[in-house]
Amino acid sequence: MKKIALLVLSSVALILLGIAVGPVKIPFQDILSAFSWDTLKGAFLDPNSLNGNSYIVLQIRLPRVLLAYLVGVSLASAGTASQALFKNPLADPYIIGISGGAAVGASLAALYFPQYMSVFALVGAFLAVVVVYRIAKVNGHIPVDTLLLAGIALGFFTNALTSYFLYVGRDRIHNAIFWLMGTFNGSDWGDVKMVLFSCVVGVSILLFSWRELNLLLLGEESISMGLDINRYRKIVIGVISLLTSFAVATSGIIGFVGLISPHAMRIVFGPNHKRLLPASALFGGTLMVFADIFARIILKPAEVPVGIITALFGAPFFLYLLIKKKRGELFG
Amino acid sequence: MDKLEVNVSFSYGEKQILKDVEFSARKGELLAIVGPNGAGKSTLLKCLVGILKPSGYVRLNGLDLLSLKPRERAKYISYVPQSSFPEFAFTVEEFVELGTYATRGSVEEALRKVGMWERRKELVTKLSGGEYQLVLIARALAQGSDVMLLDEPTSHLDINHALRIMNLLKGIKDEKILVAVMHDLNLALNYADRVVVLNKGQIQWSGKSSALTPEVLEGVYGVKAKIVDVEGQRVIVAWE
Repeated sequence: MKKIALLVLSSVALILLGIAVGPVKIPFQDILSAFSWDTLKGAFLDPNSLNGNSYIVLQIRLPRVLLAYLVGVSLASAGTASQALFKNPLADPYIIGISGGAAVGASLAALYFPQYMSVFALVGAFLAVVVVYRIAKVNGHIPVDTLLLAGIALGFFTNALTSYFLYVGRDRIHNAIFWLMGTFNGSDWGDVKMVLFSCVVGVSILLFSWRELNLLLLGEESISMGLDINRYRKIVIGVISLLTSFAVATSGIIGFVGLISPHAMRIVFGPNHKRLLPASALFGGTLMVFADIFARIILKPAEVPVGIITALFGAPFFLYLLIKKKRGELFG
Repeated sequence: MDKLEVNVSFSYGEKQILKDVEFSARKGELLAIVGPNGAGKSTLLKCLVGILKPSGYVRLNGLDLLSLKPRERAKYISYVPQSSFPEFAFTVEEFVELGTYATRGSVEEALRKVGMWERRKELVTKLSGGEYQLVLIARALAQGSDVMLLDEPTSHLDINHALRIMNLLKGIKDEKILVAVMHDLNLALNYADRVVVLNKGQIQWSGKSSALTPEVLEGVYGVKAKIVDVEGQRVIVAWE
């Protein structure tokens, strides 16, 4: 419980820090006053009525930080579910072809319909899942090994397609490349609403079915313990697709968070999803906001794609946990 | 509920694995299923518990368990799989709690019954093979079902743990219908009340364990066999 409280506190602290940090220096007093009742009411009625600093806080930084947090929560939760589905700690939310499909959609859009990149990414992601699912399905059953292979095969195929689109349109693909590496630049309240919806629905389903997620780890054996494994696998695939596609559509392909968060939290909290899932979600959100703050300041005033930062910081932190685990200082 | 009636057949594609396997089991007795490797013993248990979908019926006091959904079926039948190394570091208590019908009370009762309650906070990955087997049995016990199926509950165990498990089963056979696939013929002979001998997917012989003869074993296993009496226990001696 103490550890979960610590994760909640870190989340809040990082969100506040994310609002405070940026190219424009904003006094703490101004940040506080942006959250006063009158300013919030004004922002709700007419966002353009806000004065300089309040506008930056409420219309630029807050949506960006919240989006980063929600995307982190979504990817980490989807990663946790993926690892349970495949009974494999190396599975990530992109494994069933979602990122590949989204990348094809986004790069295609970058060539012909640049303003619809998110929509194309979302459609690409869903199409990829449908294709992988249909290939893997055998007589109404979903064998996870076939699902994995179908996902990997489609991944290679979509990679080739994406590379082709990027090559063909090499003079007008700057946005697509930035998107492929993941970024929260230019995010607004519309993006937040979109991911808030998928995040609340998806994470709630997973939180309420922590017992079923635990049983998934036992594979077919779980049928004898009351799990309708085929039905639940379909639900989990649906939830992973929902969480990941919306996250990818708004902020591109951010690697590592979906893989590292559940893995790291399993070392600290153990494999029981009752604790692992909320811990992983909170950790994913916090890690993402942390990475985004770095992405904004490391090459100020330019921005680095956040996906680079998540890997840069996530990997050493993960190694640190592994070493601690080896020394027996952590769970397991 | 005290009577399980089974008649199942099962094929993998063209290949028939089980053919009209028909037997019944009752509360108050331990039924052992024995037979050579590849006879279809584990497949039979997977069919009974619903992991595989056989044709035929599995009836508990007339209720057809095969027609039930997994969640409903788990109320009536539990399964102790062949022990393999645990992959995930659950604590003993969490591991026994995994089942849909496990409650705090049933978990404590089951762990006390197998003698692992004091060690409930330990990780299953740190247990010995014998201890892990006890925890697997506790997990099935905590489900509170009328029927319990066990797939080779004593394989890979030392003789001490093997006897401990068999005595445990002896102690609970009045509460449950117990069906165990057994590799060790001597344990089957001395602890089971009835034996079903399976060979090439069909029942070769069934009856009281005391009625099992060397000729049956010779026919099924293709070896010479003798059953001798050692201090009140029947011991099988076999040679080529």
